[in-house]
Amino acid sequence: MRKLLYLLPLSLLFFVTACGDDDVQAEETAEVNLNFKATYDGDDFYTENIYKLFEGVDDTDIKFSTFDFFIGNVSLIKNVGEEFEETELLEIDFVSLSFDPGQAAQAEAGVTIQGRKVPAGTYDGIKIGFGVPADLNRTSPSEYGSGDVLSKTSHYWSGWDSYIFAKLEGLADHNGNGVFETSGVEEGFTYHMGTDETFTERTIFQTITLEVDEERTVNLNLDVRKLFRMTLSEYDQDDNDLLDVEDFPGTHTDAELQINKTMMNNFSDAVSLQE
Amino acid sequence: MRQWIIFFLLVTTLAAVGCGGDDDVQEVTDNDLTDIPYDPKTYEIIVPCDYPEMPIPADNPMTIDGFELGRHLFYDPILSADSTQSCSSCHLPSGSFTDNLPVSVGIDGIAGRRSSMSLLNIGYVTQDLFWDGRSATLEEQALLPVEDPIELHHSWPAVVEQLRRHESYPEMFRKAFGISNTNEITKELAAKALAQFERALVSSGQSRYDRWRCETGFLLTESEINGLLLYTNEDDDHPGCTHCHSREAQLFSDFTIKNNGLDSVGPTVEDLNNFIDKGLGEVTNNVFDNGKFRVPSLNNIAMTAPYMHDGRFNTLEEVIDHYSSGGKTSFNIDPNVHSFNLTTEEKEDLIEFLHTLTDTEFMNNPAFQNPFEE
Ligand code: HEC
Ligand code: HEC
Repeated sequence: MRKLLYLLPLSLLFFVTACGDDDVQAEETAEVNLNFKATYDGDDFYTENIYKLFEGVDDTDIKFSTFDFFIGNVSLIKNVGEEFEETELLEIDFVSLSFDPGQAAQAEAGVTIQGRKVPAGTYDGIKIGFGVPADLNRTSPSEYGSGDVLSKTSHYWSGWDSYIFAKLEGLADHNGNGVFETSGVEEGFTYHMGTDETFTERTIFQTITLEVDEERTVNLNLDVRKLFRMTLSEYDQDDNDLLDVEDFPGTHTDAELQINKTMMNNFSDAVSLQE
Repeated sequence: MRQWIIFFLLVTTLAAVGCGGDDDVQEVTDNDLTDIPYDPKTYEIIVPCDYPEMPIPADNPMTIDGFELGRHLFYDPILSADSTQSCSSCHLPSGSFTDNLPVSVGIDGIAGRRSSMSLLNIGYVTQDLFWDGRSATLEEQALLPVEDPIELHHSWPAVVEQLRRHESYPEMFRKAFGISNTNEITKELAAKALAQFERALVSSGQSRYDRWRCETGFLLTESEINGLLLYTNEDDDHPGCTHCHSREAQLFSDFTIKNNGLDSVGPTVEDLNNFIDKGLGEVTNNVFDNGKFRVPSLNNIAMTAPYMHDGRFNTLEEVIDHYSSGGKTSFNIDPNVHSFNLTTEEKEDLIEFLHTLTDTEFMNNPAFQNPFEE
């Protein structure tokens, strides 16, 4: 009997170790984080910092108060023959890059988002969606507990039955008097983007080799100035393919829906992979 | 051994009985409470249709006895140094748990600098409590008024001592939290009970707006509907209240912290130092946060005048005049504030709509009233 008692824990131990081994072999993983930072026409981006709207083209002073966006369906991609195999890093998350100069340390560090563990190995690139993927965009904030990224009442617009995928807000000193005004002269702009058709995907091709147990951070930058690109002649400024911020300071009227779409689309051009 | 136990029990009972009469105070502060049954029953928070589920922290589940204890503490002046004030002195059910004063006045008659805040649906505020967002949770917040020199101006060790010696609180703490001895009563448990009471303070579903949303056949007037459309219309020349007081989840706030243009401090960054009450900036020491305050919910707004963090506006008319003027100049004014024109009739409609958020059923709910006046 005594011997048997010894045997039991031993065999159990064996059993456990055996299982453990198995697990590890099946999942030689690496961890991938995404880091987001922003620039404005190449300069570090801060909210409440004054920039030239379109330097050299339109030197109006502009400052931002909010820049944030959802990212969805982010995955690593692998070229397998004719097709791409996707390995999902995350389904949905929210990135706010609204850091003012008083939060310089945070702006410098950027926003890091933890992705899922993925099998180690070599990938051919990364695919990022900007916005809330359609399946999740059928839901709304009241369905989520607070703390959940999709519980943000600030980022849902029932007029569209959609999350607000991104916000870019600020003030531009259109009359050039050195004061950012909201009273009498309208200098505020509030671009809110969203609806399923504006969900924007961008695939960036670059070989990413992940060693087993490695923790890798993929650094991404968004150049906010690029969001203002506007090729629709009704909304552009003097045929220079830039949005006329003074005449179209929002995305709320039906006419301005085109601006919403274009700006969301522009995320694919604004994002770049950093070394 | 056996004899000793009997002897001990005898002595303690004697002591307890001996003191029961005078002043609700017992001599002994470590009394065994295990004779009192601990049988916690879940307190169900029932919310109107399409409200989110109330977030409840894992370490402070809602129980019927926890709620009752919290209600007693909330209304009990035992929490103030001179036993004259309780939480309810500044958070009265008749004012949707505000005091309807421009700024609150504490036990020493000193006026604070800020207006009391409604506690309706407070459980949904899971970060940035207070006008300046300085407190993270209800449990953390509840500890503050007791020792605030211009509120209850007491000390927690003294309050805890009083609670331990009290005639009925030890039993209530036992029933709420399963403590086995009076000496396990702590300020943290008191705060948990207060937080449970506060989480229960949810909309009744009987406001005209909630009934219109939830009950088929219940209609709003033409004027109210028109007001709702104005409230919601975010076109550039319309009120756009929803930009900040979001209608999503029925909470009428997006819980962000913003400068809605109340004060003209000047146009530059340096001028941001001119705010008398710096709001969030006081908490973060970041000049860009000066003058920013949390967007409050507008549920029951017609019952909580005067308005804003310092109670500067007496009526909703004044509030709307403020917004339609486009706000006053400061560097970090939120761009969602902008001037707009409403006709007299439209303004009335907007106010009519705000009145549909009135929930007197909530304010009159017997379960939320002062238990000492029953
Ligand atoms: C002297 C008056 C006074 C007393 C007493 C008082 N409060 Fe308050 N309460 C206020 C004021 C004023 C504010 C806003 C203060 C600020 O923002 O700085 C406030 C804010 C709050 C808030 C934050 C609400 C929100 O939306 O963020 C909560 C919760 C609260 N009080 C609960 C309590 C509780 C619980 C007690 C008793 C332990 C209590 N109060 C006692 C005046 C009072
Ligand atoms: C830019 C965001 C923003 C917009 C837009 C906005 N508000 Fe506010 N509102 C706030 C903030 C922030 C406060 C608190 C300010 C303070 O007390 O310092 C507030 C406070 C209020 C209050 C006082 C609440 C109380 O408990 O004292 C009322 C009423 C109000 N707003 C109504 C409205 C209405 C009506 C509209 C549309 C015309 C509107 N708001 C538009 C941000 C906004």
